[in-house]
Amino acid sequence: MGLYDIAFYIISAITVLAAVGVVAARNPVHAVLFLILAFFNAAGLMVLMGAEFLAMLLVVVYVGAVAVLFLFVVMMLDVDFVRLRQGFAQYLPAGLVGAIVLLVEMLVVTQAAKDIRQPMVAELRHPENVRAIGYELYTDYAFYFQACGIILLIAMIGAIVLTLRHHPNVRRQNIARQVGRRREDSMEIVSVKTGSGVEE
Amino acid sequence: MMDVLVQQLFFAGAEVWLAVMAMVLLVVGAFVGNRATAAISYASVLVLAAAVAFIIGLNGHPRVSLFGGAISTDALANFGRIMVFVTAALAIVLGDRWMKRVGLQKFEYPVLMLLAALGMSVMVSANSLISLYLGIEMQSLALYVLAAFSRDNPKSSEAGLKYFVLGALSSGLLLYGISLIYGFTGQVGFAEIANALPTSSKVGVVFGLVFMLAGLAFKVSAAPFHMWTPDVYEGAPTPVVAFFSSAPKLAAMILTARVLTEGFALATPEWQQVLIVIAVLSMIFGSFGGLVQGNIKRLLAYSSIANMGFALVGLAAGTAAGVQSVLIYMVIYMLTSLGLFAGLLVTARQGRPLESFEDFAGLAKVRPGLALVMTLLLFSAAGIPPLAGFWGKFFVFKAALDAGLVWLAVIGVVLSVIAAFYYLKLIKVMWFDEGDRPVDGIAWDAGLVALAMALFVGPISWFVLPVLEPWALRAAAILF
Amino acid sequence: MDAQSLITFAIFAPLLGAVIAGFFGRLIGDRAAQLSTTALVFAACAASWVIFLQVFSGSLEAFTLQYLRFIDVGSFTAHWSARLDTLSAVMLVVVTSVSALVHFYSIGYMEEDPHKPRFFAYLSLFTFAMLMLVTAADFMQLFFGWEGVGLASYLLIGFWYKKSTASAAAIKAFVVNRVGDFGFALGIIGCFWLFGTIEFAELFPQIAAKSDVSVAFLGMSLPAMDLLGVLLFIGAMGKSAQFFLHTWLPDAMEGPTPVSALIHAATMVTAGVYMVCLLSPLYEFAPVAKTVITVVGAVTALFAATVGLAQNDIKRVIAYSTCSQLGYMFFAAGIGAYQAAMFHLFTHAFFKALLFLGAGSVIHGMHHEQDMRNMGGLARFMPVTYAVMLIGTLAITGFGIPGTYLGFAGFFSKDAIIESAYAAGLHNGAAHMAFWFGLIAAGLTAFYSWRLAFMTFHGPLPKAHEGAHGDAHDDDHHHEPHESPMVMLIPLFVLSVGAVFAGYVFYDAFVDHHQAEFWRGAIYTAADNHVLHDRHDVPGWVLWAPFVVSMLGLFGAFVAYIWKRGMGKRVADRGGPLHSLFYNKWWFDELYDATFVRLTRVLGDVFWKVGDQKIIDGFGPNGFAATAAHTARRLAKLQSGFVYHYAFVMLLGVLVLGALGLWLSGVWG
Repeated sequence: MGLYDIAFYIISAITVLAAVGVVAARNPVHAVLFLILAFFNAAGLMVLMGAEFLAMLLVVVYVGAVAVLFLFVVMMLDVDFVRLRQGFAQYLPAGLVGAIVLLVEMLVVTQAAKDIRQPMVAELRHPENVRAIGYELYTDYAFYFQACGIILLIAMIGAIVLTLRHHPNVRRQNIARQVGRRREDSMEIVSVKTGSGVEE
Repeated sequence: MMDVLVQQLFFAGAEVWLAVMAMVLLVVGAFVGNRATAAISYASVLVLAAAVAFIIGLNGHPRVSLFGGAISTDALANFGRIMVFVTAALAIVLGDRWMKRVGLQKFEYPVLMLLAALGMSVMVSANSLISLYLGIEMQSLALYVLAAFSRDNPKSSEAGLKYFVLGALSSGLLLYGISLIYGFTGQVGFAEIANALPTSSKVGVVFGLVFMLAGLAFKVSAAPFHMWTPDVYEGAPTPVVAFFSSAPKLAAMILTARVLTEGFALATPEWQQVLIVIAVLSMIFGSFGGLVQGNIKRLLAYSSIANMGFALVGLAAGTAAGVQSVLIYMVIYMLTSLGLFAGLLVTARQGRPLESFEDFAGLAKVRPGLALVMTLLLFSAAGIPPLAGFWGKFFVFKAALDAGLVWLAVIGVVLSVIAAFYYLKLIKVMWFDEGDRPVDGIAWDAGLVALAMALFVGPISWFVLPVLEPWALRAAAILF
Repeated sequence: MDAQSLITFAIFAPLLGAVIAGFFGRLIGDRAAQLSTTALVFAACAASWVIFLQVFSGSLEAFTLQYLRFIDVGSFTAHWSARLDTLSAVMLVVVTSVSALVHFYSIGYMEEDPHKPRFFAYLSLFTFAMLMLVTAADFMQLFFGWEGVGLASYLLIGFWYKKSTASAAAIKAFVVNRVGDFGFALGIIGCFWLFGTIEFAELFPQIAAKSDVSVAFLGMSLPAMDLLGVLLFIGAMGKSAQFFLHTWLPDAMEGPTPVSALIHAATMVTAGVYMVCLLSPLYEFAPVAKTVITVVGAVTALFAATVGLAQNDIKRVIAYSTCSQLGYMFFAAGIGAYQAAMFHLFTHAFFKALLFLGAGSVIHGMHHEQDMRNMGGLARFMPVTYAVMLIGTLAITGFGIPGTYLGFAGFFSKDAIIESAYAAGLHNGAAHMAFWFGLIAAGLTAFYSWRLAFMTFHGPLPKAHEGAHGDAHDDDHHHEPHESPMVMLIPLFVLSVGAVFAGYVFYDAFVDHHQAEFWRGAIYTAADNHVLHDRHDVPGWVLWAPFVVSMLGLFGAFVAYIWKRGMGKRVADRGGPLHSLFYNKWWFDELYDATFVRLTRVLGDVFWKVGDQKIIDGFGPNGFAATAAHTARRLAKLQSGFVYHYAFVMLLGVLVLGALGLWLSGVWG
C-alpha cells in the first residue's frame, strides 16, 4: 500500500462521513457545511486521478457558488428542519433495510467484477488537463457540449418563466431613459415673484 | 474536414433547425413580449412542420452515424421524430389557445415545446449513453417547467416540483446505471457496448442495465416508477398533460427499444424478464388504480400507466415484430390520448374545466357531438374492435404470443378487460346519468383536434394502418 | 306468362304484400294495407290455380327454378329455388286459396282491431314462408320455410300480445316446435352426412343404393334410413301437432280465428304431412320409421277425437278435430298411401278452413263469445253461417253413400284412408291397429262435430249470456247475436263449394285410377307397395263401416243434445273418470308441467343460482369485480401524494429489479 492508496482511503472515508453528516446533522447550516466538506474531498479524489482542472472547477463552482447559495437559502428561509424530520425514525427501518439490500447487491456486483480490469481512464491526446478538455469538448464531444448548452438554456428559461414577475408598482431603472434625458425635458426655469408661489 | 461537418450538420438538420429556430423565437419573444405569443406559436408549428418535411425528404436514406456516434439518422429515428413533431405541433396549438382563454399566454410555452421536441429528437436518434442521458434531460427539463407552467396554481407548482424531484432521482438512477455500464464495458456507444459485452462482467452490466431501465421506466411512467404520474397529470395544465401523455412516452419507448436491442442484445433473456415484471406491474397498477378515480385527468394518468404496460409487453417480446407492435401501439395510444385530453379542453362550466365524473354526467344531452367524440375515443382506448385501439393491442399481444410469452399475453388481455371498465364507466356517465347542467361554448381548436383524433381511431385508421404497419416494421427492422 | 314466371310471382307476391303492409302500413293506411295484401295474395292464388290446372291436365312438366345461391361452403351448397311438381302444385293451390280467402275474410273479422296492417303483414309473411316451404328443392330452404311459418305462427298466435294467455300460447307453440325442430335439424344433418348433399334431386336417387347402411349410435346399430326417417318425423310431429307434441295446437287458438283457419287448420300444420309425402323415396326404404308414423298417427287420430268430445270452447273442439285429422293423414302416409294422405290434406284444407271461419263467424256474431255452453239456437240469428257450418260438418264426418260417387269431400278422402288402412292391415299389425283406431275416431268425429253444431245452433239461447253481455260491450253493438257481414260470408261460400265438390272432382286424379299420371313420380312408391290398388278389393263391410259409425255418432249427438236435451250437460257435471280424462285432455299439460317444465325449472335453478350466480359469477365477473375494487382501493392508498413515499417505492422497485437481474445473470450464454 503506497502513499497514493493511503491518501485515497483517507479522502474517501472523509467524503462518506461528510455525506452522512449532511443527512444526519440537526442544524441545517451544519448540513451545508458538511456538504462543502464532501465537495472538497471529492475534489481531492479528482486530484488523485490526475484531473486537476476538474478538481479546481469543482471547488470554484460547487463550493464557491452552489454551496454558498445553499447556505444563503438555508439561512434566509429558516426552514423548520425539526418538522421536516418528523417520521424520520418511522421510515428509518425501511430505509435501512433498503440500504442494506443495495449494499449487498453492490457487493455481489463488485465481487463478480473483481477480475475484470478495463482501463478506467481514457488515454489523453494532450497531457495538460485544460488543453485535453478543451480539445475533446470542441472536437469529438462537440455535439454533447452543445446539447449541454441547450439544457442549461432550458434551465434558464424555466427559472425565468417560473419566477420572473412584472410588478406594475415597482419602479425600475431604465438606463436608456436615464442616459437619453436632457435638461430641457425635465427642467424649466421660472422667475417667481416673492410671496406669490408658482402657478401650474 | 469541412465537408464532413457540413454533411453531418445536414443529416442532423432537423435538430439544428429546431435549436436555432427555438433560440430565434426566444429572442423575438424576449424583445416583443407576450404580444407576439400567438405569432410565435404559429411560427413554432411551422418550424415543426418544416422539420417534418425535411425528415420526410430523408426518407429511405440509409442509416448515417453522426458526431462520432452520438446520434444517427435512420428509419427508426425518423419515425419517432415525425410522430414527436406532429404531436408537439398539435400540443402547441391546443396549449396556446387554451392559455389565451385562461389568461396564461406566454411566449416561452412554444419555445419550451420546441426545445422539448428537440430533446425527444435526440432521444429517438441517440446512439450512445451520453446522448441518451442528454436527450432525456433536455426533454425532462422542459417538461418540468411546462408542468409548473400555471405557476400561480398551487397544484400546478406542486406537480412541477414533484416531477422535478422524482425526475432528478430517476436521473440519478439512470446515471448510476450508465456509469456502471461504462465501468464494466469501457464504452458508451451502443454498438461499442455490444462488441464489448462478451468480455465484460455480465453481473455488473445487467445490474447497471437494471438501474438504467429504472430511469427509462420513470420516463414512460411504468410501474413501479409511475407514482408521479397521477399527481402530475392532475396538477399540470391540461394541454401540457396531453403532450406529456404522448410524445415523451413514444420517445422514451423508442430509446429503450434502441438501447436494449442495439447495445444489449446479448443480455436479451435478462432484460426481457425485467421488462416483463415492469410490464405486468404497470398493467396491474394502471388497470386497478384507475378503477377508483373520480378525476378524469388522474384516470387518464392510470390509463397511460396501463397502456405503457401493454406497450412494454410488445417490447418484452424482444423481436422486430415486437418493436413494430410497440411503435404501432404507441402511435395509436398517443393520438387517442391526445384526443381525450383535447376533449377535456373543449368546454367548461362557468370557466371551470370539466374534470370529474360528475362534470360529465349527462353530457350527451347538452353536447351530444362532444359526447360522441369522447365515446369513440374511449371505446378505442378500451380496445373495442374495429377501432384503432383494438389493433394496437392486437399487434402487441400477437408479438408476445409469437415470442412464446403466452401467459404474459393472457395477463395483458385480462387486465385490459379490467381497464376497459373505467372507460366504459365514463361513457355510461356521459350517456345515461342524470344531469343536464349547461356548459360554456365550444373551443373549436380543441374540438377539432378531438374530432380529428376520433376520426383517426375510427374510420381513418383503417386506411392508415396498412401504411403504418410496414412503415413501423421498416423502422423496427434497423434494430435487428 | 310461362309457368316459371307464374310460380315466381305466386311465391313473391305475398312477400311484397308483407313488406308493403309491414313497413309502410302506417304510411298508406289500414284500408290500403288490407287491399294491397289481399289483392296480391289473390293474384298469387290465381297464378297457382293456372299452374295447378296445367299440371292437372298434364300439360306442364315438373321443373326446378334456381334463383340464387344461398350457402356454398366446401361441399355444402344450398340454393334459393322453386321446385314445381304435382306435390308442390297441390300445396300451392291449397295455401294460396285458403290464404286468399282468409285475407278477404279478415277484412271483416278484424274490422275493429287497431293494428290491421300488422295483422295483414303477418298473414302475407306467413303465406310467403309457406310457399317457400312447399317449393323447396333442398332441405335448407325447406327448413327456412319451416322456421318462417313457425315465426309467423308465433307472431299471429301472440297477435293480441297484451293478453297474457296469448303470449303464453305463442311461446308454448314456439318452444314445443323447437323440440320437433331439434329432430328435424338432426335429420337434415344426417342426410348431409350420409348423402353429401341436401338437394332432393341429387339425394333421392342415392337412397336405394344406401338403403342398407347402418349407423352405430349409443352402442346400437341402427338402419340409417330408419334413423333419418324417425328424426325427420320428429320435426313433422312438432309442426303437425302429433301425439306428445300436440299440446301447443289447442292453445294456439288464442290467436285470431282467421289465423286458426289458415295456419292451424289448413296449411302450416299440414307441413309435416307434406314433408313425409315429399320424402316418400326415403320412407319407402324405412319400414321402422313408417311403422312409427303409422302408430303415432293412429294414436293421435283417436286421442284427439276423444278429447274433442268433452271440450266446450268452440275453437278448441275444432282444434282437436284438426289434430285428429292430421293423425289420419299421418297414418295414411305411414302405411304407404301417400296419395291418400295428400288427398285428405287437400280436402281437409277446405272443410276445416270452412269450419274455422264459420266458427269465427259465430264468435263474431256472439261478440267474442267462444264457450258453446253459452250458445244455442243461433240458427235463427245467423242462417247463412248455420248452413255453411252444416256443410262443413257433413264434410268432416265424411258423409256420403258408399259405393257411389255421391258424398262430401271428406267422404272421399277419409274413406280412402280407412280402406287403405284395412288393405294394408292384412299383413301389417300397425296398419291394422290404425284401421280400427281410424274407424272409432270417425265415429267420435261425427259425435263431436254434430255436438258442436247442435250446441251452437239449436235449442234456446241461454239468457245468462245476454245479460252478462250487455255490460261488457259498448252501445254501438247489437246485444243480440247477428249474422256476419258479406265480406266474411263470401269466403264461406267459396269454401263450401270446395267442401262439397273437392272430393268428387279430384278423387280420380289423387287416389284412384289416374293417380300415377297425376303424380308423375312426385310421390315415390316402392315396387311392393300396392296399397292404393289393394284398397279396391276390401270387403263390403269395410266400405260401409265408416258410414255406419258416423251415423252412430250423429245419432249419439242427437240424443244427447237435442232429443234428451241436457244429457250432455249432466254427463259433464257428473264428472266421471272418462269425461274428466277427456275434458282434461288426458292431463297432458299437467303431465308436461310436472315433468319437463318442473324438471327444467329445477335444472335451470341449479344452473342459475348455483352454477351461474355462485360459481361463475361468484368466482368470475362479480368476484373479480369485488376483488378489483378492493385492489384498486388499496392501490389508491399507496398513492399518498408524498414525494418521499413515491421515491421510496421507486428505490424499492429498483432494488427488487436489481436483485432479479443479479439472480438471472450468470455468465454470457
